[in-house]
Amino acid sequence: MPLVGNIRDFGLSDFLYLVDRGYKTGCLHLSRADEMASLYFDKGKLITAIRKDDVAIVTDLLVRKGKLTPIQAAQATQAQRNDSGASVSQILVNLNLIGRDELQRVLQQHIEESVYLLFGWSEGEFRFEQGQRPELTAPILLTPVPVEHLIMEGVRRIDEWGRIKDRIPSTDMVVKFIEQPTERAKGINLAAEEWRVFARINGKDTLAEIAHKTNMSDFDVCRIVYGFLTAGLVDVLRKPAPVPMLATGRPLAEAPRIKKSLVTRIINRIRGM
Amino acid sequence: MQTVKMVISGAVNAGKTEFIKTISEIEVVSTERRATDDTKLIKKETTVAMDFGRIAVGDDLVLHLFGTPGQKRFDFMWEILSEGMLGLVILVDSTRPETFRETNRIIDFFMSYRETPYVVAANKQDRPNAWSPDELRLALRLPTHIKVLPCTANDRESVKLVLLELLDVIMQRSED
Ligand SMILES: Nc1nc2c(ncn2[C@@H]2O[C@H](COP(=O)(O)OP(=O)(O)OP(=O)(O)O)[C@@H](O)[C@H]2O)c(=O)[nH]1
Ligand SMILES: [Mg+2]
Repeated sequence: MPLVGNIRDFGLSDFLYLVDRGYKTGCLHLSRADEMASLYFDKGKLITAIRKDDVAIVTDLLVRKGKLTPIQAAQATQAQRNDSGASVSQILVNLNLIGRDELQRVLQQHIEESVYLLFGWSEGEFRFEQGQRPELTAPILLTPVPVEHLIMEGVRRIDEWGRIKDRIPSTDMVVKFIEQPTERAKGINLAAEEWRVFARINGKDTLAEIAHKTNMSDFDVCRIVYGFLTAGLVDVLRKPAPVPMLATGRPLAEAPRIKKSLVTRIINRIRGM
Repeated sequence: MQTVKMVISGAVNAGKTEFIKTISEIEVVSTERRATDDTKLIKKETTVAMDFGRIAVGDDLVLHLFGTPGQKRFDFMWEILSEGMLGLVILVDSTRPETFRETNRIIDFFMSYRETPYVVAANKQDRPNAWSPDELRLALRLPTHIKVLPCTANDRESVKLVLLELLDVIMQRSED
């Protein structure tokens, strides 16, 4: 069954996180008004992105960018027809019509730019079709791109507090690393400012304290941490309240301790229902 | 007579009333009203104060189930309902990603008071466009130790399973 929703409610970066952590293969279709785009993933990594009205065929794209002659393009297309399984990208490299690194660089740049444009959408329907694969003639990357990298770049383009406040309601919250962030951080190119914040994360300091120590504005620190958060590198937690209070001004009673024998009785009762 | 209390919470229309109706031994005391604010776009009847269900465990022990009202303007009720609760079920309408953020706010609300044992129930799994429990875990970014269970609130076996899983979490925190 496809996953459907609107990116107004469940953002593109949230979806990318789900694709990454869920190790998903399939296609995310996005649409609004007369615009449409399809992002294809293989085991949680991006392999291609195609926007409506943009070139959807890798040879056309490379000819347009001056990386391939029309004759070479025809040669690759012909070779691919005779080889049922391989993508045109793979054939191009096999035939030495373009270097693997060069192909990766050109396609990655093109695909990333398409994705970054999508981060600018404040709303749009999405539909994720599990298992759907791109046409073999599409501009498929030979080395898939990890999505953390896309998330960070996408978040850099967010400049509204609204989105950020949703996840970071206050600057009194503490930032801490999630398991093994350095492993994950490898796929990400951090900007100098982002490194400054990254280096200050210690599981004790609040966002306000980090802003103070780095001499950066609260907004900039929150925006950067929001990026880390969305990419799944860090967590933000409320500082534990010293004495929990009810709004009525009464301190909240301790969580009730309950006896095992009592729990067992309830379990047996419900089992028997 | 000892009473213990569990709270069933979640965003508007998640299935809280249905969940309690399915398992309660008494007719659920619901304070349903015609929906007023933005809720009326979604449904006709909504819970305005709370739902109340009851399961007798023996002559000396009874389990009370309280459902929180969905509409925002009744948020103050949550605090009162959550006093002294043993555990919490967070119901999610798995077919409506537009409620996931609200669900996170509800979890945050309850956890800001204290670490209450809770489970998340991915409700309406019988509907074709439901997100799976695994997908919901990622969408809500729940830590791995929190259970996310498939649920169909109008199916008694399914509701039982959710409560038993919650009791299992409570058991781990109970004393001899
Ligand atoms: N298909 C299906 N429908 C469900 C399920 N659970 C609840 N519903 C339906 O979803 C709607 C909302 O259920 P309620 O139990 O009223 O939800 P609620 O959380 O009490 O809603 P509020 O009190 O307004 O916040 C009703 O039409 C239910 O019949 C389920 O598991 N499957
Ligand atoms: Mg209700």
